[in-house]
Amino acid sequence: MNGHDDTREFADMRLTRRSFIKGCTMAAAALGLADSMIPQLVAAATAPRRPPVVWLHFQECTGCSESLLRASHPDLGRLILDLISLDYHETVMAAAGHQAEEVLHDTINKHDGKFICVVEGAIPTKDGGIYCKIGGRTAMDILAEVAPRSAAVVAIGSCAAFGGIQAARPNPTGAVGVRDLVHGKPILNIPGCPPNPVAFLGTVLHYLTFSRLPATDNLGRPLFAYGRKIHDHCERRAHFDEGRFAEQFGGEGHRQSYCLYKVGCKGPATYSNCPAVRFNDVNQWPVSAGHGCIGCTEPAFWDTMTPFYERLPEIKLPVGQGTVTTAESVGRKIMGVTAAAIGLHAAAGVTRRLLKGTAKTDEIREEE
Amino acid sequence: MAYEFEKRRAFGALYRITHWVFAASCLLLTITGYYIYEPWFTTMLEKGTADFTVANMRFLHFLAGYFFTGAVICRFYLWFFGNRQERITDALPVTKRNLGNFWGAILNYLYIRFHTPRLGHNALAGTTYLLTFLISMVMIVSGFYMLFPESATWQVWGTNLFASQATSRFVHFILMYYYIFFAMVHIYIAVWNDVMFGEGLVSAIISGSKFLHVKRPKAD
Repeated sequence: MNGHDDTREFADMRLTRRSFIKGCTMAAAALGLADSMIPQLVAAATAPRRPPVVWLHFQECTGCSESLLRASHPDLGRLILDLISLDYHETVMAAAGHQAEEVLHDTINKHDGKFICVVEGAIPTKDGGIYCKIGGRTAMDILAEVAPRSAAVVAIGSCAAFGGIQAARPNPTGAVGVRDLVHGKPILNIPGCPPNPVAFLGTVLHYLTFSRLPATDNLGRPLFAYGRKIHDHCERRAHFDEGRFAEQFGGEGHRQSYCLYKVGCKGPATYSNCPAVRFNDVNQWPVSAGHGCIGCTEPAFWDTMTPFYERLPEIKLPVGQGTVTTAESVGRKIMGVTAAAIGLHAAAGVTRRLLKGTAKTDEIREEE
Repeated sequence: MAYEFEKRRAFGALYRITHWVFAASCLLLTITGYYIYEPWFTTMLEKGTADFTVANMRFLHFLAGYFFTGAVICRFYLWFFGNRQERITDALPVTKRNLGNFWGAILNYLYIRFHTPRLGHNALAGTTYLLTFLISMVMIVSGFYMLFPESATWQVWGTNLFASQATSRFVHFILMYYYIFFAMVHIYIAVWNDVMFGEGLVSAIISGSKFLHVKRPKAD
């Protein structure tokens, strides 16, 4: 960034050609597409048709929108806003009150069956869903009206996908994810707390280029971003295999950047591409900063992944305690046995010499 | 000509145990070591398995390496404190007796003139074992340098002997072929001797006793 003026770049909301191609390339990489596909992504992204998007906010903290639109790298947010026609988004739209409700109404009528419905936040269902109301209507009502008329539903963040923290025990508001309420529409889950903007960008570009949603796992998560376990791509994986662990935060192993499994990392049970894509364009993610994964892309992670700082049960370590650690400990014993064998041999020799005198041993007499 | 044989004790227990530790560990080291060099198996099962094939192979390799090191230390000790057949003075062609035996062994293996087997190894074998010991020292240092790359002690040894991890890996791999070659020759010659001279050389490394030719012919 030598002599680069960040302020100017942030202030100028226009997307440069260079930034645009960079964003498309980043998405192509995340999707696992060959670079020969980038021109197709670019062509799809520059086509005049921009799918209208209705963005619904329910029980949430707006962290997903924040991470999407305020990525430190401004290109991603701008590219997303350029690719889609964000007709209704309570946080960023200029309209308010009845005017905003009118926009929502107009959009779903005008683009019936063609718009994408993005949902951020869980939907409370207890007591008729009264725990989340917008414009006097419950979240359940709004979703029931909007989702069936959309082309597809994208649940962004763990709350919309699986209920998130609202659905954590004892789940006082009866919060659920979109997939529990919407049926008969393609639903794509992009979980995470927050999810990586690249996952959303990749999904949108995939949809624009191929006119269909990307392949998903059985939890509705796109495989390009959630196809593999964090553990299997982790930069600290070698330390796990060899048995070198951070035993406590701030301890020797922690300072040596050893594996965080024993201080509660949930990487072995979590599917996401965090180790590869990382966050905020500074090549960082929790594990590289010394904090274990908390499993935020998995269903009900507040219930199943807690306590966050205790190790997952029943995760197999190679040969018990890891290869090098176990080999070192067994190796010490083997060296001990070696010393004992030599000691025994020497003691037997000395004893025999004491009993038989210093004369020639049997072997020497036999040889001559 | 018919000979009488006399059963004589040749090798002590520690010597025989280390022999079989060498045999087992070298076999394991070669198999697992080659797998580490070319891990063909995991590639087929890359996804969806919690098996640590490479990790397990490496662990077995390390374990066998420790056994091998322990046996080498024992053999070094026996060179100086073992029985006469086990000592370095019996092995190397540095005395008049051993020089003659060294030359005799060569003629023997060339089918030029068979020699009467002696109780210990012949000096040609003893010399080969010294070479094997020196190569084993290189294997041990390069092996531990790679096992503990961050250890200051092994770094001193490793960097002085091999300059880098890559070189030590290369040397470690190339010298594996010495053990394969050694095993083939060793087994062939042991069986050949057993067949030719009937001294029970192969069973001697299990029982510790050999059957030596008694000079006088049978009475009848």
